[in-house]
Parts: sequence; C-alpha cells; structure tokens
Amino acid sequence: MDHRELALTQALDHCIKCNLCTSACPVVAVTDQFPGPKYVGPQAERFRRAGQPVPDASVDYCSGCRVCNQVCPTGVPIAELNARARGAMVAERGLPFRNWIIARADLVGGLSAGPQAPLVNLGLKMAPARWVIEQLLGIHHQAPLPMASTYRFRSWFKRHQAAQPATKGQVVYFHGCATNYYEPHVGQAAVAVLEHNGFEVILAEQNCCGLPLISNGDFKGATSAHAANVRKLLPYVRRGMPIVGTSTSCTLTLKEEAPEILGLHDEAVRAVAAGTYDIFEFLRQLAERGELKTDFRPMPRRLPYHPPCQYRAHRLGKPAMDVLALVPGLQLDESHADCCGIAGTYGLKREKYQIAQDVGQSLFEFVRRAGADLVLCDSETCRWQITHATGVPSQHPIEVLAAAYGLRR
Amino acid sequence: MAYDTIVLGAGLAGMLAALGRSERGERVLVLAKGHGATHWAAGCIDLFGAATNPLAAVRDLAATQPTHPYALVGVTALEQGLARLRAACEAVGYPLVGSAERSLLLPTAVGALRPTSLVPATMVAGESRQLGDGRPTLIAGLRELRDFFPPLIAANLRAQGFTAEGVYLDLPPSTRHGAFSPMNFARLFEQPAFREQIGRQLADLVRRGGYARVGLPGCLGLHQATTVVRDLQTQSGALIFEIPTLPVSVPGARLFHALEQALVRAGGQMQIGAWVRRGEVQTEQLVAVYSEAAAREQRHTAQRWVLATGGIAGGGLRAEPTGEVRETALGLPVQVSAAQSAWLAQRFLADAGHPIFRAGVATDRDLRPLDAAGRVVYANVAVVGAAIAGFDPLREGCLEGVAVATGFAAGQH
Repeated sequence: MDHRELALTQALDHCIKCNLCTSACPVVAVTDQFPGPKYVGPQAERFRRAGQPVPDASVDYCSGCRVCNQVCPTGVPIAELNARARGAMVAERGLPFRNWIIARADLVGGLSAGPQAPLVNLGLKMAPARWVIEQLLGIHHQAPLPMASTYRFRSWFKRHQAAQPATKGQVVYFHGCATNYYEPHVGQAAVAVLEHNGFEVILAEQNCCGLPLISNGDFKGATSAHAANVRKLLPYVRRGMPIVGTSTSCTLTLKEEAPEILGLHDEAVRAVAAGTYDIFEFLRQLAERGELKTDFRPMPRRLPYHPPCQYRAHRLGKPAMDVLALVPGLQLDESHADCCGIAGTYGLKREKYQIAQDVGQSLFEFVRRAGADLVLCDSETCRWQITHATGVPSQHPIEVLAAAYGLRR
Repeated sequence: MAYDTIVLGAGLAGMLAALGRSERGERVLVLAKGHGATHWAAGCIDLFGAATNPLAAVRDLAATQPTHPYALVGVTALEQGLARLRAACEAVGYPLVGSAERSLLLPTAVGALRPTSLVPATMVAGESRQLGDGRPTLIAGLRELRDFFPPLIAANLRAQGFTAEGVYLDLPPSTRHGAFSPMNFARLFEQPAFREQIGRQLADLVRRGGYARVGLPGCLGLHQATTVVRDLQTQSGALIFEIPTLPVSVPGARLFHALEQALVRAGGQMQIGAWVRRGEVQTEQLVAVYSEAAAREQRHTAQRWVLATGGIAGGGLRAEPTGEVRETALGLPVQVSAAQSAWLAQRFLADAGHPIFRAGVATDRDLRPLDAAGRVVYANVAVVGAAIAGFDPLREGCLEGVAVATGFAAGQH
C-alpha cells in the first residue's frame, strides 16, 4: 500500500468524533434514513473487512456532496470513505439495474440526443410514461430529467470555424455528457470564450468521466471509463495542453475523485489530473496573470448564484464569482446554501427524490426570493434540479460570460 | 484574486479580525480548514476564569505578565472587541448578556458550576444567583438526546445546595425517529408544533411542581433561539435556560453564524475547507499562502495576513513524535515552555495544566510573530487567539476573551 492509499485508509484515525460533519450534513438534516457521515464513514469503517459481509447498508443514503469533508476540522476524507464503502457494498450485493442504467450517462445520452430527441423529450413529459418508468426502473416520476438535444455538441464543433486565429496556444475542451447530449449551448459558450481569449480549442476523443458510475458504486465500470479517458487525454497533457471542462463534477473526477476513490495512482493518471482545470479555475488563473480579456459590455444585472457542492469540493473558493466580478454592472448574490439535493443521480431515485427536494429547500427559497429571471450554477444536474424546483431558468456562468463579451452563439 | 487581508482560521479571533478589516473597507478573505473552535465550545465568552472581576484581573496582568496576549493588546481592545461581538449577535436577534466586570456561574451538562462572563440570553436564567433564590429548578431533557442526563445534573445541583429535580420529557410526535443530535433537535425546536408539545409538558410539570425555572439542553433552535425560548417561557410559565451540551455545540454554532452574517454584510469572503499548508516569503514579507486543493495547491495572495488557526486543540500547532512543536500553516517559530520530557505528570488533570497549552507563537505588541531572538519574522502578519504563546487558555479560562481582544486588535491597526 503506497502513501496515498495509507492517507485515505488510515485517515479515520484522525476522526475525533466531534460530530461537526453530522451536524453539517444536509441529508441528516432532513431524513432518518442516513445516520450521518461520522457513523457510516470513520466509525463503520472499522467494521468493514475484506471477505466479511457489509455491516450496514445506510451508507447508500450518502449523497456524496462532501459538505462533511468541507467542515471537518481534522481533515478526514469522509466522503471518499463513504464512496468506497458503497463500492464494496455493490461488489458484494450487485448493482440494481436502475443504478446500472442511470450511471451510464453516455449510453443514455447517446440514445436520447439527435433527431429523435423531440420524441424522447415528449415521452419524458408524459405522465403515464413517467409512471411506467418509475414502476419499471425506480426513477421518480417527478425527477428532473434533462431534455435531450436535437444535435450533439461534437457534431456542431466539427462544422465550427474559429472567428480569429489563435495567439495563445491550444486547450483541450472536456465537454462531458451533459454538454454533448443535452446542453450543447454550454460548450458553444465555452468555445467562444476560450477562442475570444486567443486559444485554439481542441476537441479530444473522450468518454464519460465515470462519476455517475463511482457514485452508484460501479467501480469496475468507473475504472475502465477513467482508464479510457486517461489514454485519450494523456497525449495532449504530454504536449503541455491544459484540459479544460465546463462540467465541474467531470473536472473534479478527472482531477481527484477517480484517482482517489478508485485507488488509481500511476504516473499517467496523475499527469492527467494535474493537467485538468475547471473552466473558471482556468479563466481565473488567466485573470490573476493579467491575461484575461476584459472587453466586457456593461451588464446591469443582479443574479442569484449557487456554487455547487462539486465545485466547493475542488477547494478553490468561488472562481466563477471571482471572474464574473470583472464584468461591469453584473452583481452575483451567493446562495450560501449547502446543496441543491440532486447530487448527480441521487435525487432521481424513487426512494431519494423527496430527500433531495427537502435538502434543496433553503436554496430554492433563496432563488425564489431573489426574484430574478435567471439563476447561475456551474453544475448541470444542479441547474436541472433548481429549475425543476423553482421554475426559474438556469444557466452555466460561462454562458453569461460569453454574453458579457458580446459573443454570439 | 488579490486581497488586502487574508485571515487563516474561522474561529472567534479570525472572524473578528476579518470583520474589522472588512469594515475598514478592505477586500478580505477567510480561509479555514473546517469548522472549529466555535462549534466545540459552550457558546459563552470566558474572560478570566474564576476572577470575580475579570476586567480588573486583565488590567493587573499588564503589570505582572507583560507578554500575556491580554497585556499585549490592552484592556481597551478587549472591551471594544466584546462590544463588536455583542453588536453582531444583537444584529441576528441573539443577544449576549453579562459584563466584563462580573463573573457568572452557569451549570454544565454534569451540573457543575462553571465561571464565564458573557452568555447568551437563552442561558442566563440558569445563573447560580438565580438558582440559589430558594425556589425550585427543574432540569428537563429527552432520552433521545444522548449525553444529557437531567437526573444527574439535578443531583449534582442539589449536592451544591440548590433545589433541583430532573425529568425526561416525552418526545413529541415528529417526522424524525432517529439521528437525534443536538443540531437536529435545534431544527425540531424551530418547528412551532414541536416546541408547543414540549411547552405543554413543561406547563404541566411547572403547575404541579411550582418550578421557578426550567433548564433544557442547549439546542433550542439554531437561528431562532430567542423566539424558541420566549415561546417556551410563555407556555410553561417558568423561566427557561439552556445548558450547553457536549459537542456539537449549537450555541457555539450560533456565535459563528452571527459573525458570518456580519462578515458577509461587510463584503468579506469565506472559504471553508481550505487547509493552508505553507507560505511564500519575499524579503521578510509573507506574499502568498498555498491551500490544499484537488490535484494541486491553490495560491492566495494578500498584502497582510492574520494567523488565527488556534493552538494545539484547534490544529494551529502540532506536536511531532520527535517532540518538536510546529505551527502548521506558515511554519512560524514556536515558543514551547517545557520540553517533551516534562509533558508527563503524576496526575492527568494536574492543577498546573499541561505545558503544551502554553506553546505558541511569540508576538510583539502589534501581534507580529517573533523568532527566538525576539526579531519580527514577517512584518505583515498578525497572530491572534490561541496561536499566541505564553498563556494557558484553558487553565486561565480566557480562551474566548483572548480571541476577542486579539482578533479585534488585528482588525483595527
């Protein structure tokens, strides 16, 4: 066992049982199904031994939001312990079909997006269809499922021509499943902003980052997804090109979640992790070096913004707020809410839908109170959840930045 | 992004320093590894242990112990810091009561009496002078809340000459059937139906037992504690007071929330979960710090810095197996009063206290860190709270007082 593995497996000894994590856990606050991060994490971990049955299944109610890690005063990686415990449970008990299918974001997205999308979307809006899906698959009939796009981001990009020649080198764009199949406009905004700042955008071959597989405990599937991405991205990283993504959970998975939770620490994995940036992390670094273009149009708007759990888990502060603060007139109000509840696929599940809605309550109230016609959030599933619960349309902050530059989609 | 001031640590000292500098118009960021000292402590402000007049005792210190943090920043900083803290609590409808010139004695979760100075209004009816007015006191709890035993608290109060009885209440019907932490009870008490059920039981007990006051666990609401206590008083016909529970401390979390609100209003930024591991120095100035983050460290730059990471308990200091004591964020020189060989005593709770609690970073009167030769290490760093050397916050009973005085001072000059 190398020191990285030891750091994770021995970290439970740093737990001083102060219960801060349990008090801060947004899931514990709304349900008895989850006894709390301290119990299922550092405590139950002592009862988990290879070859012995899983002592307690309640860890499945951990949403993986990582608020526990954030507040822990002694630095215990509680969320990682929980993710691994879920993986061990799935390895022992098997993966339910529902979790198998919702964890395969690229399969589901690939089947939905394209000319058939209007039909798919219509089906997903029909109550009887959703009832059947709930009965057959266990996906809650009200769960915020995204609307498929009639075209894929990748096919748009193939036809795309940069408006100006690149002066600052190349970046590789990691679009993730959501941009490719559901929200190509997010990718278009990202490409526009990067090109406006003088970069040539390269669209590397890529696949699902594997996060839904990790959070559903399918470590086998997640390991092959990550290995495939490392293989596809490594040549670019070797040439010094940054990998930049707009899905904050995909970028976190490439940077940290996959290596740490799946125990992948070879040199190639580390190189890809070290070369990956969330787009606002990347843009903020440009701004700090004085290299970000600031030819913004004044934008006299005041918008609510929710920094998603998966962004806070990067432990970088609020890069989107820092960058958008440079736009004259634009004012963002931070939600100061812990979590929207959805946690990727968690809040889609029949037995967890209500928990997810309850977790998001204070955020939803914040958004409604703001009274704006738009809310910003970096994470796609959070955006869908917020819009589903409040009726307020949502955008990725990169879309607002592109608009501030006056860039056409 | 460039900040005027970055504060490391989000306890009382760090938050007051950040608030002070934000209110002076600076761009301020607080970086903290996690939640800390506020959420572990009772939520009261201890100024000087058993001194009957803490403020007078602090004044005397200046003459006898000139390197004590109270002596370094002076009594005015303490008074002004307390005023600022009280205003922040007042602003969220959670007043602190008491005076720096008089100690109060309040019951703990085992019924012992503990000296402190400023207490939330939700606790003050349990002060020993009131407990000793000859009228009976009821201590009530819920079996579902672990580590809070009303019969034990009442028995220990009786042993000290107070008239007290302890009972368990019935858990009102609720959607919750498990996970009964103090924080979850705080959320339940914010539901009017839940506290009305409790109030009804209390009214019945008060009518039959003639109790003048009722002590309840310190979890009567997180954001609406004053309302919860007022409603329970109205309904029960007795005074209600909270007794601090074992961690997590809901009253401590309320103090943090009050300061967080004040800081946000003043335009300050916070980043919780940012564990600062090292600093970057140019010509005796700290120019940047690096916090742990996914895949690579995050670099933060500022003109000036406040180190408020706490002592050995808060994680600001760490004792290595070699006996070396390290300051964990910036690697500042640490002053240790006794070598590791002197850390063992015959009695676990020896009166002199453990020497490790006196360890910390020595500072000058501007709270700038000093090396062993007494030279300023970084001129643009101030050290506040329990990270400062040369006092024992636990034995002296001045953890919060020193945090408030030094944190406020670092926010001003």
